[in-house]
Amino acid sequence: MATIVGGLGSPHAPSIGAAIDRGLTQAPDWKPLFDGYQPMRQWLAEKRPDVLIMIYNDHFTSLFLDNLPTFALSVAPVHRIADEGFGPRPLPPVPGDAQLAWHLANALVADEFDLSISHDLPLDHGCLTPLSALWDWTAGWPGRVVPIQINVLQFPLPSARRCFRLGQAIRRAVLAYPVDCKVAIVGTGGLSHQLGGERFGFINPVWDEEFLDRLETEPESLAAMSHREFIERGGTEGIEEIMWLCMRGALAPKVRRVHRNYYHATLTGYGQLVLEDMAYEPAQALTT
Amino acid sequence: MIPQAGKPINSDPLPAGCYRLGGSAASIAYGMNRFCHALLVAANRDAFKADPAAAMQAAGLSPAETAMVNARDWLGLVRHGVSPFLLFRLSGALGMGLAATGAQMRGQTLEEFMQTRKITGAR
Repeated sequence: MATIVGGLGSPHAPSIGAAIDRGLTQAPDWKPLFDGYQPMRQWLAEKRPDVLIMIYNDHFTSLFLDNLPTFALSVAPVHRIADEGFGPRPLPPVPGDAQLAWHLANALVADEFDLSISHDLPLDHGCLTPLSALWDWTAGWPGRVVPIQINVLQFPLPSARRCFRLGQAIRRAVLAYPVDCKVAIVGTGGLSHQLGGERFGFINPVWDEEFLDRLETEPESLAAMSHREFIERGGTEGIEEIMWLCMRGALAPKVRRVHRNYYHATLTGYGQLVLEDMAYEPAQALTT
Repeated sequence: MIPQAGKPINSDPLPAGCYRLGGSAASIAYGMNRFCHALLVAANRDAFKADPAAAMQAAGLSPAETAMVNARDWLGLVRHGVSPFLLFRLSGALGMGLAATGAQMRGQTLEEFMQTRKITGAR
């Protein structure tokens, strides 16, 4: 049977991917962030998940307003590296897991999450930045990826609670997957930042730390927040935090923190997090 | 708290200086957003840079949209309903980086904006 080994939170800013590609990870202003990835890489090397379920958003790269799904799940056997206008990043194509993805599709739709199914979803920085920072891909990707895309760009967005519940449904689906398979869930994006309007450059470290506290111990209180509250405290693009809430929903009510780091760069508050279930209770997890 | 049935959970007014893409403004700005989206492709960027007026006319931009692009009125475009992620494709094609584009929306030069930052070597 499949198991969930834990959940991770990572920023997904394209600048982080560019820093990797340009060999800047030890540059003074980047080092605090990349040092924060080391315990996460080590945890992944120890837990060796077969699959990462990536909760991310596309940035009008592979998806556009002509047909923008609220939730989309990739069943692709392999994912191309998207060209975001400067040529694709020098990463190998990312293997998917069609069998698990179809299981998730069936289970989630049965659980009333009517998501779009994608057979060809080139991945942009929303997924590739955390993936390329967390996994050593130089000799090929060490595992498979199931991307789940959430619309955080065009309102109406799914509510924070809806994302949290999607995470809970992902948990039920993974734990019912009758294949030996270790899965980790990755929430991506944020934390506080704003890219449009007069409040461009808004960062709120106090909120970011509070968000990380509450995500760990009282995620229900975050699920109750409106989009306006998220935007007021974390900036318009800080709304990406609802994707971390999806990751948190896929973990047990009580979790153990393995790692947490926070750093804010020029434009964005960066949170890094590894959580594990406090107690593994599959019977309880399978109930609604 | 579960939102009441039919109550739009996304309609609360936002704080000053914040904008969201959606609603009828998104319908009005769809052509403008689609124009910016197309700049992902190098050939479209080249055509735009070679003859901005022709490219904008071919895309069916309104006179007001064309005027905002010509004036590099980034804030006006965001207020009009352009997504920041698509705006940066436009300003980038015109040679303006993300931070400079954002600084202008704040009413600052890039230098003034960077002086407000503690970390400047890592975006």
